[in-house]
Amino acid sequence: MLIEFTLNRKRVAVEAPPDITLLTLLRDYFNLTGTKEGCSVGECGACAVIMDGRLVNSCLVLAPQAAGSEVITIEGIRGPDGGPNDMQENFITYGAVQCGICIPGMIMAGEALLMHNPNPTRAEIRTALAGNLCRCTGYQQIVDAIEATARSREGNR
Amino acid sequence: MPRFDYVRAGSVAEALRLLAEPGLTSRPLAGGTDVLVYIRHERAPFDRLVDISRVPELKIIERRGNEVVVGGAVTYTEAAESPLLRQVAACLVEACLTVGGPAIRNMGTLGGNVVNAAACADSLPPLTCLDTMVHLRSLAGERTMALSEFIMGPNRTAIRAGELLTHFSFPVPPDGARQVFIKLGRRNAQAISRLSIAAIGRLDGQGRADYVRLSPGAAMPTPRRLTEVEAMLLGQVPTDELLIAAGVRSAEVMIAVTGRRWSTEYKEVAIQALAERVLRRVLVL
Amino acid sequence: MPEYQYIGKPARRVDALEKVLGTAKYIADRKLPGMLHARCLRSEVPHARIVKLDVTPALAVPGVRGVITSEDFFEHGLYGFPVKDKYMLAYQKVRYVGEAIAAVAADTPEAALAGVQAIICELEPLPGVFDMEHALDADAPQVGPDRPDGEHPNFLDKLIVRKGDPLAVWEQSPIKLEERYTVGPQEHAYIEPEGVLAVPTPEGGVVVYAPNQSPFINHGNLALVLNLPHNLVRVIQPPVGGSFGGKDDIIYESSAQVARLALITGKPVRMVFSREESLIVSYKRDAMRMHIWLAADPDGTLRACKFDGLLDSGAYASESSFTAWRASIHAMGAYRYDACHVDITAVYTNNGYCGAFRGFGNTEVCMAIEQAIDEMAYKVGMDPIDFRLKNCLRLGDETVHGQRLTESVGLAECLMAVRRLSDWDRKRAEYTRRDVACNVSTTNDIRRGIGVAALYHGTSLGAEGQDYANATIAIEQDNSIDITSGLTDYGTGSRTVFTLIAAEELGVRPERIHMQRPDTDTAIESGPTVASRSTMLGGNAMRIAAMNLRQTLDYAAADLLGCELHQLIRHGEAYVGPAEEPVPWERVVAHAREMGLALSAHGKWTAPRINWDHHAGRGTPYMAYHFAAQVAEVEVDMGTGNVQVIGFWAAHDLGKMIFPQGAYGQLYGGIAQGLGYALMEQITFVNGYIQETNFESYLIPTAVDVPEIVGTFIEAPFSHGPYGAKNIAEPAMVPTAPAILNAIYHATGRRVRDLPANLERVLLGHDLAKGGSPRACKLGLHIA
Repeated sequence: MLIEFTLNRKRVAVEAPPDITLLTLLRDYFNLTGTKEGCSVGECGACAVIMDGRLVNSCLVLAPQAAGSEVITIEGIRGPDGGPNDMQENFITYGAVQCGICIPGMIMAGEALLMHNPNPTRAEIRTALAGNLCRCTGYQQIVDAIEATARSREGNR
Repeated sequence: MPRFDYVRAGSVAEALRLLAEPGLTSRPLAGGTDVLVYIRHERAPFDRLVDISRVPELKIIERRGNEVVVGGAVTYTEAAESPLLRQVAACLVEACLTVGGPAIRNMGTLGGNVVNAAACADSLPPLTCLDTMVHLRSLAGERTMALSEFIMGPNRTAIRAGELLTHFSFPVPPDGARQVFIKLGRRNAQAISRLSIAAIGRLDGQGRADYVRLSPGAAMPTPRRLTEVEAMLLGQVPTDELLIAAGVRSAEVMIAVTGRRWSTEYKEVAIQALAERVLRRVLVL
Repeated sequence: MPEYQYIGKPARRVDALEKVLGTAKYIADRKLPGMLHARCLRSEVPHARIVKLDVTPALAVPGVRGVITSEDFFEHGLYGFPVKDKYMLAYQKVRYVGEAIAAVAADTPEAALAGVQAIICELEPLPGVFDMEHALDADAPQVGPDRPDGEHPNFLDKLIVRKGDPLAVWEQSPIKLEERYTVGPQEHAYIEPEGVLAVPTPEGGVVVYAPNQSPFINHGNLALVLNLPHNLVRVIQPPVGGSFGGKDDIIYESSAQVARLALITGKPVRMVFSREESLIVSYKRDAMRMHIWLAADPDGTLRACKFDGLLDSGAYASESSFTAWRASIHAMGAYRYDACHVDITAVYTNNGYCGAFRGFGNTEVCMAIEQAIDEMAYKVGMDPIDFRLKNCLRLGDETVHGQRLTESVGLAECLMAVRRLSDWDRKRAEYTRRDVACNVSTTNDIRRGIGVAALYHGTSLGAEGQDYANATIAIEQDNSIDITSGLTDYGTGSRTVFTLIAAEELGVRPERIHMQRPDTDTAIESGPTVASRSTMLGGNAMRIAAMNLRQTLDYAAADLLGCELHQLIRHGEAYVGPAEEPVPWERVVAHAREMGLALSAHGKWTAPRINWDHHAGRGTPYMAYHFAAQVAEVEVDMGTGNVQVIGFWAAHDLGKMIFPQGAYGQLYGGIAQGLGYALMEQITFVNGYIQETNFESYLIPTAVDVPEIVGTFIEAPFSHGPYGAKNIAEPAMVPTAPAILNAIYHATGRRVRDLPANLERVLLGHDLAKGGSPRACKLGLHIA
């Protein structure tokens, strides 16, 4: 079936079977492999993307469910110059990245949080990350990076 | 060859028509958080999913007189962010906030949680405490029944083919009633309830309980209020002794329903503690 | 302390940018035109004879391009180190649920699955061994390979440490303890499931992209089982989505399977595991049962330790002999004793199989000994930190193995640091006041407790094997610098460590340096990337390589500036001579080229000789030790057994910190893994069938389970380490579980001596058996 939606701020239309997930659609039909497959049952958050302003696990969204929606993946998170945005830069600065497989999902969770709560506490950041598993970092430097991003965005407001 | 087809409904009427279309098995798709996990492991028991997640009539949260109406496709996040529900159904809001993680709460729906009817479903204890009615519609008409009748067992409900859970309704709890929900899991997020419990309670001017509702989750095959325990407290001053006895009674009621199972040794002790604790939090100032 | 330009200063991880942008290409992200998809037929029973295996029907399935069995490998694909007991595909028998029997390559994943389902495979079930305690019974079914030496075939190895006669001391001792402790298996739970991509080459060889820890071991195995000369096999490590010890054997096996399929079909072949496949098939941390006797004097002086351990290696040996050895060396903890015996016995069963996992034996024994030490502190009536300070290893002490510690012993400093940081004395006193009432629990009681654990952890391989590493460095035509190491980075940060070391020694900005991906064609073999050895071994090798290159450049600079070597100083990257006119680094490089000097160098570092006498159980097991202390503060719900870790403090003597964000990242991440081990991570084998097959049942800590951690590093430099550095990766997680368990005891007055300390164990004192079924495993094996 034809699935039309907005992907990383561009209108797209793709012919795809109705029984695949949004995760498969992104990875196999758009070659957007920044969205990772970790468990396929909504437990790890490696496949998290933002759909209509909300964080979702793309492994638990049917591809046609995205029709008419606005979807943002890690490939759509960029600074004005096309390089890393401030949150991605902070992930590097604060040492939030180790193996990196969870990081796209973590950044999506961080961006989704700041859309709704621009000035979160550390506890609120942790709650926002609670569906994204990381096995390397113990989360602390990820929380640091998101907190620093929130502070600097608030300061620039 | 796709395993099934997908179609999106724009209204309840359209959804019902699609669900009733002969020649193929259609099932409603709300948030998908249960359906997609299921079809990863099992053959899809349907030919077509009817996406009801964007049907406006199923997204309502509103007060109608002394009743609150909540649409079946309301997500956990929408419920938790609703000013009305925060005001009148705090235990439901707390329960919604314990479901999975943010991404699950953004997709999963109350209707889906109830129709899936897992014994550990987090919305069941608060909805039960709130004396929730379930409203079903099909091309044949409407049916309304109590939540406790609707759920017939673990993953079994009274819903019929072609029927849609359109909304829930429950009376606004009395003024001044306090509500609490506690979930006990093996970790603090993305966890299945080991045990959960919701309570609503109020004291009268003399410090006696004049309104008590208590319902545990993941404790019994079907949700129900612990009316035996509520009766012990109604009209009584909630002393330490009484609250401890209420906890003990809660465990007794649970075991009378379930018999002794592998987990009873644990749940017997834990439900005592949780029941006493939620009753204390709603009844003791 | 010398002042460094880059060492110990905040830095950017060299591979972080591609990871935050989502452009890093892990195995599952790599595709080639015409690439085939591979999938294995796997055993659904824990122990069976393969009676019939006919793959021809699979070849008839549309889209299937190749099918292989053990017949397609040299010597049926027998491999393994140190014990050669496993096949790349099962030969004659299967020994665990999930063991690969055949592999199919097809145009699509669906066709591969259809091919797998078409294979005719008849298995004749055999009785299995599911309880390690009965593995060595005379009538136990045979799981392990035949033993010509007369040992029981289910006996894998026994490792000992010997000093004096501890039981004799124990018998006479006024204060004694005898307790038993158990740990279950732990899953690595890297968020990237296993995968391998193999590409056939025009000359008849194969290039394998494999997220393994040690590409050179993979390379050696592949050449062996594919029966190819070494030059026709190349292994490249792409970005690895976590490993923690877990991506060795299982990746070698998948590599051999897809490599053979690529050679047979002439097409690229990729295999990617589902999470279920990963959990069922991959090896785990070993389960252990431990029995400890401790003796002390009334003044709190530890006298004797006897430690018996039984280790369940599962169906294959993998690294268990080495795990058991490291367990034996560390079993008594970082303390002085007059007498100590350790006996660790490893056995075969049909419970999956076990291999390397962060801490590698020490994680298991530390959970037991650090609780036992805590129990002794209570028996002698001493504060647990005071008791440890009284007995812990200090500079100049001799370990029970007979090793004199002559440098880099920071344990006492670590203990004092966590005492101060955690506000130990105040909290200890405040939470202890309720101890009298501990026996009567009221259901609404939330109690707090605070507990400590100490650690020592031998650096690198020790007496496991030859300990060396190689590095290369070269200045390219564009004046960028390429470096290689035979040691790999699977998230650990070693590529950044090597970059910083090269920058420091050369006096150039790290941005100039490009650390190549691990590749068996371009890097030099350096032993396995295990045992937290990269910083020390690989770091020293890189330092030597960079020093060699620096010397060449210094000659060129002196020649260019017309001065003596000792007159050169550096201003940023520039060279400055007596004329005080800075000459850009590029000009020095150009001059070196004109002089005909080689602008590349190699460095090799070999660890100092050590020795271990396996028969005597004595010697010098490791060249140096990492020391640490951790403190956990918990809240225990006395009504439900729920435990929350509300505070955590860690002090680690890592010798010298090189890459701060990396070191802290290892620390926090290790503690989170230890927290999961302590409280929630549980693998249940029911008659050989694993019950936890995805992340909804195998629970690891989320961001709201891990508290804010306060970490600090004590730098007691080790003279043989680069800039004094030792290690951090494994030691970070080892003491976490016992610190939490000791805090639970402090809160509740009840010991949990079996892991994990789940709701049931904390509330009831024992676990509840849910039972289980083979169904859980089958589901995972048949997903589309």
